[in-house]
This record gives sequence, structure tokens and C-alpha cells, in this order.
Amino acid sequence: MANTTKLNVIYGDVTLGLSGPGFHYIFAYDRGGLESLVRYGKEWLYRTPKPAFWRATTDNDRGNGFSTTSATWLGADMFSTCTQIDVAVDGQATPLPIAPENNKYSDHETAETVAITFTYTTPTVPATTVTVEYVVDATGKMTVNTHYNGAVGLPELPVLGLRFVMPTTATGFDYQGLSGETYPDRLAGGKPGTYHVDGLPVTPYMVPQECGMHMGNDWVKVTRATTQNNADPDHQPFSLTFQQNGHPFAFSCLPYTPEELENATHIEELPLARRTVLTVYGATRGVGGIDSWGADVEPQYHVAGDIDHDFSFAIAGVE
Amino acid sequence: MKAEISWLDDPQTFRINQLPAHSDHRGYATVAEAAAQQSSLVQSLDGTWEFAFAKDPQHRPVGFYEPDYDRSDFDRLAVPGHIELAGYGQIQYINTAYPWEGKHYRRPAYSMGADRPEKGMFSTDPENTVGAYVKHFTLNSELEDQRVSIEFDGVEQAMYLWLNGHFVGYAEDSFSRAEFDMTPYLQDGDNVLAVEVFKHSTAAFLEDQDMFRFSGIFRSVRLVAKPALHVEDMTIQSGVDDAFTTGDFKLNLKLSAADQLTGSVHVSLMDDSGQPLWTAEAAASAELDLATTVNHVHLWNHHDPYLYQLQIELRDATGKLVEVVPYQVGFRRIELKDKIMQLNGQRLVINGVNRHEWDAHRGRAVTAADMAHDMQVFHDNHINAVRTCHYPDQDAWYHLCDRNGIYMMAENNLETHGTWQKMGAVEPSYNVPGSLPQWQLAVLDRAKSNYEMFKNHPAVLFWSLGNESYAGDDIAAMDKFYHDADSTRLTHYEGVCRNRVYADRISDMESMMYDPPRAIEDYLQNDPDKPFVNCEYMHDMGNSIGGMNSYIDLIDKYPMYQGGFIWDYIDQALWTQDEVTGQPVLRYGGDFDDRHSDYEFSGDGLLFADRTPKPALQEVDYYYGQHD
Repeated sequence: MANTTKLNVIYGDVTLGLSGPGFHYIFAYDRGGLESLVRYGKEWLYRTPKPAFWRATTDNDRGNGFSTTSATWLGADMFSTCTQIDVAVDGQATPLPIAPENNKYSDHETAETVAITFTYTTPTVPATTVTVEYVVDATGKMTVNTHYNGAVGLPELPVLGLRFVMPTTATGFDYQGLSGETYPDRLAGGKPGTYHVDGLPVTPYMVPQECGMHMGNDWVKVTRATTQNNADPDHQPFSLTFQQNGHPFAFSCLPYTPEELENATHIEELPLARRTVLTVYGATRGVGGIDSWGADVEPQYHVAGDIDHDFSFAIAGVE
Repeated sequence: MKAEISWLDDPQTFRINQLPAHSDHRGYATVAEAAAQQSSLVQSLDGTWEFAFAKDPQHRPVGFYEPDYDRSDFDRLAVPGHIELAGYGQIQYINTAYPWEGKHYRRPAYSMGADRPEKGMFSTDPENTVGAYVKHFTLNSELEDQRVSIEFDGVEQAMYLWLNGHFVGYAEDSFSRAEFDMTPYLQDGDNVLAVEVFKHSTAAFLEDQDMFRFSGIFRSVRLVAKPALHVEDMTIQSGVDDAFTTGDFKLNLKLSAADQLTGSVHVSLMDDSGQPLWTAEAAASAELDLATTVNHVHLWNHHDPYLYQLQIELRDATGKLVEVVPYQVGFRRIELKDKIMQLNGQRLVINGVNRHEWDAHRGRAVTAADMAHDMQVFHDNHINAVRTCHYPDQDAWYHLCDRNGIYMMAENNLETHGTWQKMGAVEPSYNVPGSLPQWQLAVLDRAKSNYEMFKNHPAVLFWSLGNESYAGDDIAAMDKFYHDADSTRLTHYEGVCRNRVYADRISDMESMMYDPPRAIEDYLQNDPDKPFVNCEYMHDMGNSIGGMNSYIDLIDKYPMYQGGFIWDYIDQALWTQDEVTGQPVLRYGGDFDDRHSDYEFSGDGLLFADRTPKPALQEVDYYYGQHD
């Protein structure tokens, strides 16, 4: 009988499993990320979360050439690779516990907390790295700390975040933050409160583009009712909550990735919605508005590529 | 008089047999009709018309206006409405360049020399589509035995008119009302009205607004009977004394009669609850001037758009009531004092928006419901001002602004952007109207139509000379016209910034578009001559309206910064059927195989084309709410 006060640790050959009452996480070394996040038998991840750098070009971005000067971040958004993985159990770093190193373990290993850090290297020139550290405790609470290493010569970032793609579309989401769609340079009109959003609305800008940003949140709870598990006929809603860890965070919750939005010139060209794309942002560029044919976003709303950035949030533990 | 197709090519011919422009007052046969705003003297011709489309002038049905012309193969078309949205001509959206860019090399008549009239340019234009409209009608009994005129509220872009085979007249200026006398050609029983509408004429050079380029009878048409004694024109001046406590009411009436001009005029001014404050009687005469003062006057402004009720009653020589003309009067004063525009003695802060008339189903043939919706959006988001970019709107909109206290920058129908800006550079080598004498009368006529039609609306604070048309003697003449005709309002024109030698002859205010906040501060910090207004700012194309506070902060820092008009109110996109799914979708420039195009630049609104609000609207509501 698995104990109920400590994390069960499964030192696999290609994965690291962590479980406890109502939760089971699998970090895949070969996939280079958090591969499975299961709560009460429901899988929350379609693919491993990865650093987010791109935003679908806005009309103002197109006008002032931002997407051109920062195009390298589109490549980084799609093709950054995991180049290093570090594991620490109860605060003690350990060599990567794969075979034969992991032969010393059993099926009854436990720990108070486990931290696993994935280092992603960008295909930019110069290259740089982003580290994503997942710290898990016995309640299943997962604290996620992301660090971006600035590098001289890198253009400004459209955004810096961590993108979660979920297997099926959410029925909706609730959040505590500001009303409507807000951006760093467009949030004064957002009224603080707790809001419910039905489905995954895509703001119907005439040309699909970056949209759905919510600034300054304490938490967001995503709710789904469908899975891809052929053995799971249950359609009861199930939810997962992302919460702030020291600082309010920004997020968007859409059915599409920036690349899908970027590719469409009209709403009707977007594919049928299949996934939920929840991105938690540590930094995001303003949208600007002076004009759409050259004027830049005001300087204080830029995200520099040559300085470090850090952000942290948590995925709530199991109630 | 015979219709000449060559008029299409001549900038100096833009109005033939049109009645002079006048106030938008409406005559009623009885007091009850006036109260119900239903005039039996008016017969609407809106509805289904016979219609034939031709792809160019050479293929048009010449003589279709003859009563015995065989129109059996004519289609049916709804009026008002755009020809292109009924499937007869290619839809095209284009911003700065002219719609024939890449298809024809054209220079405006006389722009390259007085010896270059450019004859045949539009009369032989292979893309100059033509709509032949016919409407049979029998005059309502209430209109019989009186003078009858016909009003076209909007026909794009040049129209020829016949009645029962007789040529009546010709008109341009797509967005101003054209009125013609029908009386000599009316007959008992069935009448055959015919209108030939050309998509292009020399007016095309003056109507290069950033919009879809449509054609057709896109606004209402009506017959109007003029009783034995009739108010032809009226000019109200409802100012205020320096203490802002006494209303200064002046009324000029111009009357006309079927035969001799005898009878009496009874004028009364009531408060908004109908309590009479002043009445006057006078014998009928061609022109009358009456005046009074109103003590403890209730001023008109955005938050309290108080309107008095004026009622003019005309009686014939036997004392029989023949015409009732109601009008709403607002007492307010707009002036430039100490380099600051003041309303009723207080600095004016404009929380405005540029509004094209737009409906995603009907194009610019907007409905009363559209206008009511828009007024509610203004109310809900602290928008207190509107610029009628870049043409006169439907008349009902001005009355709505009076009643809702919306400050209007009433812009006449003029934009010649492609004649002076090319590849982003200022290059006015063939700019019209410029200082060309051959174009001055046409643009002055557009200013006059704008002034005469809307002069009695308290909501109108500024006359705007048009948009993005560079600056020369002709626009300076428009400014002079407005000031000579109306000493109670201010003029506006941004384009003088491109040719500042005219700064002392054009525009009472310094107007810029899309100026960054820092550049505005530079202007305001260097001993500015004129108060500053953004005639267009915060370009809300797609996901935008970021950094608005940098403009709003100027309001409290600089008294001479007086706000502006966001660009713009609603996305220009059209409902069409998706060729793949069959579902209704919103399409924009270039989506109709229209080339050359500026594609998604047609969508810069605070609202999506279907009138649902964009997320950024809450930002406008917040910031405009701070200075409301």
C-alpha cells in the first residue's frame, strides 16, 4: 500500500515517476520534459510543456516589422531542444538516475520533495538556454520555476512563457484577475475580479493574431470533461488550477498555438479546435497602437532578449 | 437640356438643375403630423426598383428612361442599397491608391496643365459600371396639385435623372442630398422615374476615402410636396451671452409660394416640456428675420443635451394652416478663446471616435437600428464626440447626436489621398484640388452642401474640410466659405500640416493624425499657435489600443491639448458565404479577388464588423471615463 505522507518515487530507465494520493506525474528523460500530469486518473498533457517565445503577429507587429526583427523566436518556439536534465531528491542533487545507476532502487522509494530541471537550448544565433524546474511535494503541488538566460545579440522577445497543451478542449476556465483581454500596455480598463469564461474563445480579429492574454492573475482553473482515454467513459468535469507563486502571472487559454494563429489570414481558416493551449507567461510585449505602419510599442513594454528573466507559478496540489 | 455623358469627365460640371442645398428641416401638413413625425407631404420611393447593370458606359441601355423603352429583361433591386452587394459589380477595398491603380494611368483633369482636360477618361472607362434604375409611381393624393421635388439622400458616384422621359438633372457628391424639381414633368397616374448611376466620374478623385468602393442609390429617395406656402430654408443661431445665462435666438426664414407669397407666419419657441416661451407673428415674405432672448437659458452640452422646441406654422391668405415645421434648438457657444476651444465657457475635452457608416450586411447603407446601437455604445463607453469620417452621414445621425449630446466634427465629402501621397512619401505633383481653379467650385459645393444641410444642429461644433487632401488655395477657399457662412463654429483640417504656408488660412485648430505623444508634447511645449486635436489616433487595427495613457496624460498636463478621435469605430468587413463550408464569414479587402488592395487595413474598429465590441473597448471606456 503506497504511503500517504510522502512522495512515491519511481526511478525508471527513461522516466522519473512521482505519485501520491490522487496524482501521478511522469517526467520523461527521452522526451525532455514533463510527459504526464494525471489527477484522479485524468491526463492533462498532450505533449511535454515547453518554453514559449512566439506570439502570432499582430497588425501593429506587422506594421513596425517586429516579427521580422524577432523572427528567430518563431524558430525557437518550435525547435528548442532539451539538452540537460538535473534531478534533486529532498534537496540533494543526484546523478541522472537511469540504468545502471538506478539499479539500486526498488518499487518502494519515497521522498519529501523532488526537483527536476530541464534545460532547453534555443536554435537562435547566439544560442541561449531556458531552464524549467519542477518542484513536487507530497501533496502533488508542483512549483514551476523558469529562468531565461539573456544573451547579447538576441532580439527582443515577443513573449516568455511555458506552454501546456492539453489533450482535449476545455469546457471553460475561471480566473481571478482582470476583466477581458489585457496586455501590459492595455490593462487599465480591466476590472479586478473572478471571471468565468465559457469554452475557449478566440478573439475574432479580422486577421487571426495574438489574442486572449490575461494580465495580473492570482489563479486560473481550467475545466475539461473529455479525455482521449478509450477506457474512460466518464464525462464528469475535472479541473486543474494554476496559481501564482509570489507574483501574479499572465496567461492565455486558447484552442490554438501561436503557429496555428500565425498561419491563418481569416478565422475560418483555423482548424477545428481539438486541444487546450494554456500558456503561463513570465513576460509579454505590449501591443502598441500609435499606428499600424511603423510606430513601435512604447519602450517600457518591450521584453529584452539580452537580459535574464525569471518567473514562477504553481500547479495546485490535490485537495 | 439633354444629358451629356461628357459631364463625367469634367470636374467643373457636378450639378445640373439641382435645387440649392438648404436646411434639413421637414414640413408637415398638420401639427399632429409634426408631433408624430410622419409627414403626409412626403412619399417614400424606397423599395424595389427595376434595374439593369452594364459593365461600362458603352454597354449601358441608352434611352432606358423613355416610358416606352422595353424593360422586360430588367432585374429588380432594393433601394437603398449598393449595386456591388446585390452581386452586380466586383467588391473592392482600397485605401490610398485609386481604385484603378495598376489598370489605368490617370491624372486628374487639368492637374498636369490647363491644356490637359483628360477628356473621355470616365465616359469611356471600361471599368465604369453603370446602374440603370427605374421606378414607377403614382403621386399620393396628399402631394397632388402642389410643387413636388425629389430628394436623393445618397447616390454613388454620379447620377442622371429623368421623369417620364424628360431629362431632369445631374448630380455628384455621393454623400450629400441631391434635390430636383419634379413639378413640370409630373403627370396623373403612372409616372416613370429613371436614374442612371455611374460608378466613376471626376468625383472619384475627390472620393478616395479609405473604404470599400461601392456604387448605386445607397440612401433613401423620397418625393416632397411644397404646400402653397413653404419654408424653403431656415437658419437658426442659438448662441449664449457672455454670462452664459441668456440665450440669443436668431431665426432666418426663406419662404416660397406656389404663386403669390401671401399669408402669415407663426413662430413659437417652447421648452422641452412644451411650455411656450416666445411666440411671434409675421406676414409671409420671401425672407424673414426673427429674434428673441431666452432668460435663464438651459444650455446644451454632452451631459445635459437640453433641447428647446421650435415650431413654425405657415397659413395661407385665408388663414388655413398649410405647413408646420418643427425643429429642436440647443443653446450653446463653441469658441476659440485664449488659444483654447471652449464650450459654454469651459475647456472642451474631446473623447471622440471616427465613425464610418458601416453595416457588415449592407455596407454603408446603415439602418436606424445601426445608429441607435452606435449611440448606445457611445453612451456606455464615455464617447462624447464623433467625426463623420470622411463624408456627411445620413441626416438621422445628426438629430441623434443633438438628442444625445454628442459633439460632432461634421466633415464634408472630400479625400484625395492618392493624388499627394505615394509609397508613403508626400508627393503632391498632381494633387487635387490643390490650387487648381477647375476643381475649386466642386469642393466649395461639397462644403456648401455640408453646411446648409446641418447648420441648424447644436451637436455640430466643427466644420471639417475633408481628409488627407494636401492643402492649397481651394481648401483655403473652403475654410473661408465656412467662416463667412457661419461665425458660430470652428473649422478643422489636418492636411494643412503637409503645406504649412496655409496654416493661417486653414483650420482653427492644430490637427494631426497618429502623432506619437512625444511629438504632441514638442508642439505644445514650443509656444503653439493653435489648440491641438488628434483627428485620428490610437489605430485600433487588430489587437491594439496599447499605451493610450500616454495620450490621456496630456489632457491634464496641457490645457491646449483637447483630446481627439480614435481611429476608428467599426471594422469594415462584409458577411459573405464561405466557399468551402457554406457558412457565413466576414471578409475584408482582397477577399473578392480585388486588386490592387490594402487587405486587412479595412478593419481598424473598436467594434468588430458585426458590431460586437473588441476587447480593447474596455480600455477606451476606462480612459474616456476619467475625463468625462
